[in-house]
Amino acid sequence: MPIDNINLIEKILYTVEKPGRYVGGEHNQILKGWGSVDVRWCLIFPDIYDIGQANLGLAMLYQILNARETILAERSFAPWVDMEAEMRRHQIPLFSLESKRSLREFDVLGFTLPYESIYTNVLNILDLAGIPLCTVERGQDDPLILGGGQACYNPEPMAGFFDAFAIGEGEEVSLEISKTFHDWKASGKSRNDLLFELAQIPGVYVPSLYDVSYLQDGTIAGIIPNQPGVPEKITKRIVAALPPHPSKFLVPNVEIIHDRMSIEIMRGCTRGCRFCHAGMVNRPVRQRSVDEIIPVIDEALTSTGFEEVGLLSLSSSDHTQVLDLTKNVQEKYHDRKLAFSLPSLRIESFSIQLMDELKELKPGGGFTLAPEAATERMRAVINKPLDDDDFFQTVTQIFENGWRSLKLYYMIGLPTETMEDVDAILQAGIKVQQIGRRLIGKSVKIHLGIASLIPKPHTPFQWLPVQRPEVIQEKLDHLKAGTRKAGIKMSYNIPDSTLLESWLSRGDRRLGAVIQTAWQNGAKFDAWGERDNLQIWRNAFAANDLDPDFYSYRERNLEEILPWEHIDIGVTKRFLKRDYEWSLVGRTREDCRNVCFACGILDTFGDQRPAETVCYWGCP
Amino acid sequence: MSETPFRVRVGYSKSGNLRFIGHLDTQRLFERALRRSTLPIRYTQGFSKHIRLNLASALPLGFIGRAEMLDFWLDEPLDIEEIREKLQAALPLEIRILELYKVDNSLPSLQGSLLSSDYVITLPTDESSQEFQNRWEQLLSQAEIPITRREKTLNYRTLILENELLANASERTILKLRLSSTPGANARPDDLLQVLGIDPAECVIERVGLNFSSSEG
Repeated sequence: MPIDNINLIEKILYTVEKPGRYVGGEHNQILKGWGSVDVRWCLIFPDIYDIGQANLGLAMLYQILNARETILAERSFAPWVDMEAEMRRHQIPLFSLESKRSLREFDVLGFTLPYESIYTNVLNILDLAGIPLCTVERGQDDPLILGGGQACYNPEPMAGFFDAFAIGEGEEVSLEISKTFHDWKASGKSRNDLLFELAQIPGVYVPSLYDVSYLQDGTIAGIIPNQPGVPEKITKRIVAALPPHPSKFLVPNVEIIHDRMSIEIMRGCTRGCRFCHAGMVNRPVRQRSVDEIIPVIDEALTSTGFEEVGLLSLSSSDHTQVLDLTKNVQEKYHDRKLAFSLPSLRIESFSIQLMDELKELKPGGGFTLAPEAATERMRAVINKPLDDDDFFQTVTQIFENGWRSLKLYYMIGLPTETMEDVDAILQAGIKVQQIGRRLIGKSVKIHLGIASLIPKPHTPFQWLPVQRPEVIQEKLDHLKAGTRKAGIKMSYNIPDSTLLESWLSRGDRRLGAVIQTAWQNGAKFDAWGERDNLQIWRNAFAANDLDPDFYSYRERNLEEILPWEHIDIGVTKRFLKRDYEWSLVGRTREDCRNVCFACGILDTFGDQRPAETVCYWGCP
Repeated sequence: MSETPFRVRVGYSKSGNLRFIGHLDTQRLFERALRRSTLPIRYTQGFSKHIRLNLASALPLGFIGRAEMLDFWLDEPLDIEEIREKLQAALPLEIRILELYKVDNSLPSLQGSLLSSDYVITLPTDESSQEFQNRWEQLLSQAEIPITRREKTLNYRTLILENELLANASERTILKLRLSSTPGANARPDDLLQVLGIDPAECVIERVGLNFSSSEG
């Protein structure tokens, strides 16, 4: 039943900031009869509603699960600190937005883990719901705690807290998990039986069924199943053809980030940038055709009333019909007062053509490019090749076409990087500004966005150490001084704020204890960049006799067993290793649509490849 | 696009979960509902185009609205029943259209002609009627009731235009108020309750009427 203190909740809502976060009831919300289904899911984004509600993965699973008559799926988010304090004070358990039931009442809690700094919030949510934190402590009646999302390609730091992870794309596997859960519930078998059954589903990783052993130097000796019948490796799931896109998006009643509808036009990327986690783990490239996308936009606009549409992909320019798409959008919607965004455009004149189409719909806004590095040598190292001449020519055209504001994204802390490479970012910014001033005038706005590299698992850079904050700071200081002098805007991350991500993203199972200690000592909302949290984390490492530097500043041996060795993304370690070696000598790979480099995807998933009329794949 | 816009006035209620949606969010909610309705909505002219929409008065967070008002404009005249049906179908259940009619374009804005608002406040269960009555009368006997919100002090004594105390069926004390709502003299019932030592979160506050200058009819 809905939690019995609903009146109390209402009273609390008068006292907290932005109470509309906690009440649900948005247009297109789905509220099913509790007794009318077999399996009850609650989908959880472990940050506040404002951050999580626009997540497209959440919207997709909400639609897919609720489309089944026998399944219901509701939503929950982390309460902000003021609400949490009131809930704890009045002993109100964390509840779902739809039926306002305690999370404990659901069968499956599906957590989205898009990034690592959200981990402590997971523990806080379990605690607020009154659910044991660790998989081994949970009993027959506790909900199944399931994880999914981009961070789960290295699930190990959170292995102790989750009963199971869905590795890879969730559209199909979530229904299989639901069925297995239902069969198990009907059978009356033990919870251990459920975990074993789940481990039989391709792509499902049940961490408690694996033992990890360590060598003297702290690296891993082996990751092996602890009982027969459990697969040695877990291969990620993909959907061979992108399923029908959701269109009945929930329309939030309070302002959230990315307050618009998002349409995924393409999944994956063939460019092979070596720092890019998304580009490696989301292979193969699959796209939706214009004929499929336009009706979805139509339906979604009618059912939501949103005024802004994001056309999402990792590399919009690479959609084979993208010009057709922007032309269609322009023709169809030019009188509808809508704004369209098309992120991740390549640095070439074609991109300007695309943006000019969309700009006519809603003038204003700026142009964004991501060269990532400012010298041709450095761009070869990261495999984002681009001639300086082409870059400045594109920039010139952007201003010639009337754009007045240009944002450029760069990375620092890259392998083999020298101060000359860093200074080149500044010089590029200054030159771009000069071009802009010549063509647009004094009012031209140049903005440099600087990120520092955090090597990610399953990428060619996974063996690299993170550069130390003092080194990063020195580079930032140089850029800051130069941009200030030139009157160029610059934004960047405080070096310390990326440390946590560098520890957790390539962490192993032992970090579970660190995460728990940090949470117990008050760490939560780590993604919000509270500086105090970092000391809590350092103390938590010390309390568990672990060295954070081991995870961040250590260069991994190419032969060592990595904590995510048993998670197979379809791209082989052999491929990543060779790509890393090529990177160090500045050897690039071209777009793999043109030539296959045998990354492993076709060996793993080639037999699932559908006819091109069903779904276009980017592989040759 | 027709030259003369078609001005539509809506009286509506806002209750349930939507009590916790603030003024700007309510405005956006109506904008999106209007887009969903497929009605030929009128946009403002100029560089950045917005839906032409005018809410009479901000309803504070947590209050139930029983007689809220807004105006919006269409590009062309349409059957009133059709407008009502399409708009209601696009609105969440917790907003109900009570009345909807065409008004003349020459009328002043709702915001500009609002004079006062009527409230029905159900006091907390532990508030005995006699004791509250004493406190209330004592407050009214003061020559001045200064209340400060956002560093601005108003004398509420002159802003309480009418008041009445009664009990409801379940014997809870009800305070009915008519408060001034003009620019610079906009009184809030929750601020008044706090002066009386009553937590507004413990009350049910309903806005049951908006009163406009006579030119509004």
